[in-house]
Amino acid sequence: MDPGALIETAEELYESAPCGYLSTQPDGTIIRVNRTFLTWIGMDRKDLVGHKCFQDLLNIGGKIFYDTHFAPLLRMQGFVNEIAFDLICADGRQLPVLANTVQKLDAAGRPMVHRITLFNATDRRTYERELLLARRKAEEATEQLRRLNETLELRVAEEVAERMKAEEALRQAQKMEAVGQLTGGIAHDFNNLLTIIVGNIELLQRRLPEGHERLKRAAEHAMEATRRAATLTHRLLAFSRRQPLDPKPIDANKLVAGMSELLRRTLGEMVMLETVLAGGLWRTQADPNQLENAILNLAVNARDAMPEGGRLTIETANARLDEAYVQGLAEPVPPGQYVQVSVSDTGTGMDKATMERVFEPFFTTKEAGKGTGLGLSQVYGFVRQSSGHVRIYSELGEGTTIKIYLPRLIGSDEGTAEIPSQAPAMVKGSGEIILVVEDEPSLRAYAVEALRDLGYRVLEAADGREALSLVEQHPEVELLFTDVVLTGGMNGRVLADEITQRKPGIPVLYTTGYTANAIVHHGRLDPGMHLIGKPFTYAELAAKVRRMLDGTA
Amino acid sequence: MLFAHGYGCDQNMWRFITPAFEARYRIVLFDHVGHGQSDAASFDRVRYGALDGYADDVLAICRELDLKDVIFVGHSVSAMIGLLAAIREPERFDRLVLIGPSPRYINDGEYVGGFKQEDIEGLLDFLDSNHLGWSSTMAPVIMGTPDRPELGEELTNSFCRTDPEIAKHFARVTFLSDNRTDLPKVRTKALILQCSQDAIAPEAVGRYIHQNLPGSQFVLMRATGHCPNLSAPEETIAAMEAFLRDPASTKAVA
Repeated sequence: MDPGALIETAEELYESAPCGYLSTQPDGTIIRVNRTFLTWIGMDRKDLVGHKCFQDLLNIGGKIFYDTHFAPLLRMQGFVNEIAFDLICADGRQLPVLANTVQKLDAAGRPMVHRITLFNATDRRTYERELLLARRKAEEATEQLRRLNETLELRVAEEVAERMKAEEALRQAQKMEAVGQLTGGIAHDFNNLLTIIVGNIELLQRRLPEGHERLKRAAEHAMEATRRAATLTHRLLAFSRRQPLDPKPIDANKLVAGMSELLRRTLGEMVMLETVLAGGLWRTQADPNQLENAILNLAVNARDAMPEGGRLTIETANARLDEAYVQGLAEPVPPGQYVQVSVSDTGTGMDKATMERVFEPFFTTKEAGKGTGLGLSQVYGFVRQSSGHVRIYSELGEGTTIKIYLPRLIGSDEGTAEIPSQAPAMVKGSGEIILVVEDEPSLRAYAVEALRDLGYRVLEAADGREALSLVEQHPEVELLFTDVVLTGGMNGRVLADEITQRKPGIPVLYTTGYTANAIVHHGRLDPGMHLIGKPFTYAELAAKVRRMLDGTA
Repeated sequence: MLFAHGYGCDQNMWRFITPAFEARYRIVLFDHVGHGQSDAASFDRVRYGALDGYADDVLAICRELDLKDVIFVGHSVSAMIGLLAAIREPERFDRLVLIGPSPRYINDGEYVGGFKQEDIEGLLDFLDSNHLGWSSTMAPVIMGTPDRPELGEELTNSFCRTDPEIAKHFARVTFLSDNRTDLPKVRTKALILQCSQDAIAPEAVGRYIHQNLPGSQFVLMRATGHCPNLSAPEETIAAMEAFLRDPASTKAVA
């Protein structure tokens, strides 16, 4: 045996190497190929050599790549390593391979032959694809995370902006509340003082001997000024939403129509009044006097905004405030059906800064001495206290519209309230016994004095305990007249309940400066309760007491 | 003489051509963005979403170097890029040498471009296989050793490096382009160098351009493949010289 036969020949190494060998001409024509490659691709040597180019055996992407990358690169640098190709086998299968190629030059330095070595890269390609997929997934996840972070910032920014807006609204509401507290408190004390002043002026007037005309006029002037002061304090109370309201079903059309004469007189000849009253207008429930005041205040402001004259339009309408609308408001306003009363002028209009402050008490754009700055704050306070809503629309140079929304009244059959007569008749007493309970001595003195003057018999007490013992001693008491707020641990309402237990059916007349307390629910009178607001005049007290004793109130 | 490389290469592909002209012409070479030594950070998907973006770059080079009477030599897709630039600013260009040009690679009715739409998808898929770093022809190592770029340098090939994402984008823009309607707008004298058996730009495509490009010359080369400037530089140079010697050397009038 030839010992050389034990040694592998170069041909064996070439033909059965674990890689494919090809030699091609520079244009790719195959000139030699090993058996491994033929086995892979499933073709005969004679069909390839001299007939096919290497690039003909590639898939389309490989063909393009061969011409655009592989061939130029091989020509430029003399070799190309690690190119991933897909061979198209005879049966149509694709075989992933990795190609290393060397370019051999002839003696003149021209390309002569390409030696191509191919490795089967099936497993490797699978692995690469998985890696590529994993990388793409990782990139996508990173991208998603990045986007999430971006939107997070955006969402935080939106949230903060929303929060700041809410805080601003809260600040505004708190400011109005604080100013309300302050004005309410001042108005309350001021009312007490006015009650005493009014009482004492009236006393002076009644007791003034005949013939002192100058003194009588002086007293009248004092009284007139006091009345104006009382109007101011009422407005302050209205703004602070602590005025006692006497809500009644209202037909706003009737109310506006009833005001036209008053409005015409107020507006003067330069301003044309137009009223547009909606057909089928819902009814609302509010204090008719206060609504009149509100409309009058708006009309006066409108007039003053039209110094050259113009047109004032009062409109009524049915309106719906939806969720979206009320959500945008600084104050809580429930969505639903409202009766809208709007007052529009063709005046100077106002800017945004003015609009924001216009409801604040004492804010005025009028010259000193021409306005109190309380008109619109009365409107605001009254409407808010009546669970309504006010909206201003204004354009500089175009005019202003102020819309009042009052809640629709549903399911009440009682007739709409008539406006109470402005001048109650003066009526005397005839010895009926009235118990006056008031912790403020001078106020008590005024009330006692007035009632005695009217012809009543009066018992007086400074607090609840004293009042109860007086009732024990004088069961003949026919009317209780009590302040709502009393010192000594028992308020007017509790006292009234106690006395009513002993004397069922006894009429009770309350008085108060403001009413953030037991007698008034949400600033309103309980049904069947009677109240006379401070400061009350002699005449008002007389009329009220008489009607109550007669059972006609 | 301004040379623009085609898809898949960089300015190195002109290394056998430029020596023949260096003595008589000012030679300007550049790499398209994302290729060779260019600044890949300047790439912008939208700006380079069509060949016009690349034509803008060619004109920017002309302006920057204050080039006039330019002989533009464009290979493959850069032939079209040069055409677009010459339409835009014809006064800058004296001649166009178009090597293996194609106004549209995908067949369209009567028109034979040589490829089907899905072939191009096949190419993009193929590029993925070659952009994985360890088997890449062009890209530096993407995965595994970003902190050792020199490893990438060793493993990959030293010419025609391309940013893989830009390469894919350029491939898509190139192979999906359609500039057939631009051909009649060209006023610059042009030479079409067509290889035999060019799989990327078949002979029919070269003849189509010749028919639609006013006053163009058409030369069918003996060279095969797509890069005669590399595989047959002598023949390429000779054809160019003949074209540049042509007495009707003033701008063609349509």
